[in-house]
Amino acid sequence: MAAWVKGGATDADGAVTAAAAILSAARTPVFAGLNAEVAAISAAYRLAGRIGASVDSLGGDATYAELGALSRVGAMTTTPAEVIGRADAVLVVGDAPLKTPLLETLRATQPSRGRAAGAARAVHHLAAGASLPVAIAHLRAHARGHLDSDPALLTIARALAGALYGAVLYEPGEVGAPGIEMLQGLVMDLNEATRCFTLPLSGADQDRAALQVAAWTTGQAIRTGFGRRVPEHDPWRFDAGRLAASGEADAALWLASLPAPAPAWLSGLPSVALVCGEADPGAAEVVIQVGEPGREVGGVLWNAGRAALTYRAPAAPAERPSAAAIIERIAAAVVERDAARKDS
Amino acid sequence: MSVLTLREAPPERLDLLHVNPLALSGLSQAEAERLPVGTSRRGLTLGDCFTVTLDGSDTLVIAGGHERLDRVGAALSQGSIRVEGDVGQRLGAGMAGGSLTVTGNAGPFAGSGATGGTITIEGDAGDHAGGAVHAAKAGLDGATLVIRGSAGDHLGDSMRRGLIVVERAGAFAGARMIAGTIAAGSVGDHPGYGMRRGTLLTGGHGALMPTFVETGALDLVYLRLLARSLRAVSPRHADLAAGTPRRYSGDLATIGKGELWVAG
Repeated sequence: MAAWVKGGATDADGAVTAAAAILSAARTPVFAGLNAEVAAISAAYRLAGRIGASVDSLGGDATYAELGALSRVGAMTTTPAEVIGRADAVLVVGDAPLKTPLLETLRATQPSRGRAAGAARAVHHLAAGASLPVAIAHLRAHARGHLDSDPALLTIARALAGALYGAVLYEPGEVGAPGIEMLQGLVMDLNEATRCFTLPLSGADQDRAALQVAAWTTGQAIRTGFGRRVPEHDPWRFDAGRLAASGEADAALWLASLPAPAPAWLSGLPSVALVCGEADPGAAEVVIQVGEPGREVGGVLWNAGRAALTYRAPAAPAERPSAAAIIERIAAAVVERDAARKDS
Repeated sequence: MSVLTLREAPPERLDLLHVNPLALSGLSQAEAERLPVGTSRRGLTLGDCFTVTLDGSDTLVIAGGHERLDRVGAALSQGSIRVEGDVGQRLGAGMAGGSLTVTGNAGPFAGSGATGGTITIEGDAGDHAGGAVHAAKAGLDGATLVIRGSAGDHLGDSMRRGLIVVERAGAFAGARMIAGTIAAGSVGDHPGYGMRRGTLLTGGHGALMPTFVETGALDLVYLRLLARSLRAVSPRHADLAAGTPRRYSGDLATIGKGELWVAG
């Protein structure tokens, strides 16, 4: 196992002890990244509960754009397999979904199941223009029949209304909460007369895994803090970037057993980084190299294609500790420190 | 007049939800000093952060503010609180009555879900002032929110009832409004995004939504009633409604029963 403390190479015990010292001394520790397998995210939650840390994930902003709309108006969603099998009209909202391989598949195939089986598939694109949420609102006004001034939007609105199975692809981080709420409203309007669904595209990050672990552990989404012992949910207060920028966070644990760019603020406060691959010893005060799930160690990860958590066996097993094992060792060292403090 | 004097900048965010005149009136000095206000494992109490002087009256002064003081006057139902300085998020959130004055700036979500009373911010307000917090159905819900300085983006987001008076607001003012009135010296881009009903009165604006349509410059009795009710709060804002402002109707992406009045 490779580990560094303040840039100098050390052994596992030294790094774990140093990490425990940083985290247990902190008043407002923050855990960020969470781009890891389920066992590691779970272990991070247990440690956060013990030391009163708050938790945020890599794509927290996109997650909350999606959750903000979901909590207010609900959502009409579908899966990639259903869109490929049934959709005769596809609307791509914004530019981010243009890069996904799913879109190539959609252009190359036609619906094979359901009422639209055998029909041709039309793919439309709603460009962002000056503001994507405004463009979505403009489209919805055309779909409702309140406006008919823009021919391009009128074409899209008529295509969706005339389709047997419409699908709307978007990337939550690009659209934002107000835009997603507007988009879900558009799709719900269309469902008065025909079928139409949205497909939010998540990136390669493990935000969806983190969200599930958060939900079954605390009953809440990510951005939960344990400072007052009970889990408190506050998307504004526990935004890791905000906590670091305002100076409230006084220690951080960066968990990225899958590759993820470390945020710039990480080196600005006492921090512990659990990273995979070729670790940068200067990325944090304590850096510990861990096994990458699905490659060097086994682990349960979010499977976007199946929209489920699935186990990935290691493709090239290596002698590296799992992130979960390291976090458990840090937690044990924190317990020892607390016990020693009480005795003295 | 009870007084809480902040000793020094708080080392963590403090939650003042349970610190209001009504709650303090039933407590002894020692009990008040033991009220938990910290948000970390250190268990900070009111006495750790403030010098407490109680007299059992319905007026509380917080001398010395800080942007880490959260939920000041939240759930206030009677009496008054005056903060000499800044406050953090959710000022007066869920407040039902009484008056709340901040001489400095406020953080985000000021007046969220407030059903009654008056909140006055003499400095600036952050984003989502009078707006809904995550997963809440409504923002300002009947209270009066006066911001003498500028407000951030999403002012009055999903507001349902009540009045907001502001000097300058950022982008997306009055977004997703359900009902209520906002009077602003000026607003930023895309005012009234997704608004269903409600009234936005402004002296100037940034980019307008394409889903708002002009319905003429009108002189309605309603405007004179609005001007009269605004005059008590801010004569300058009452003057915005005094002439024949242009009226825009929207947001046509929704039911479109909202209105945006732009003073000429």
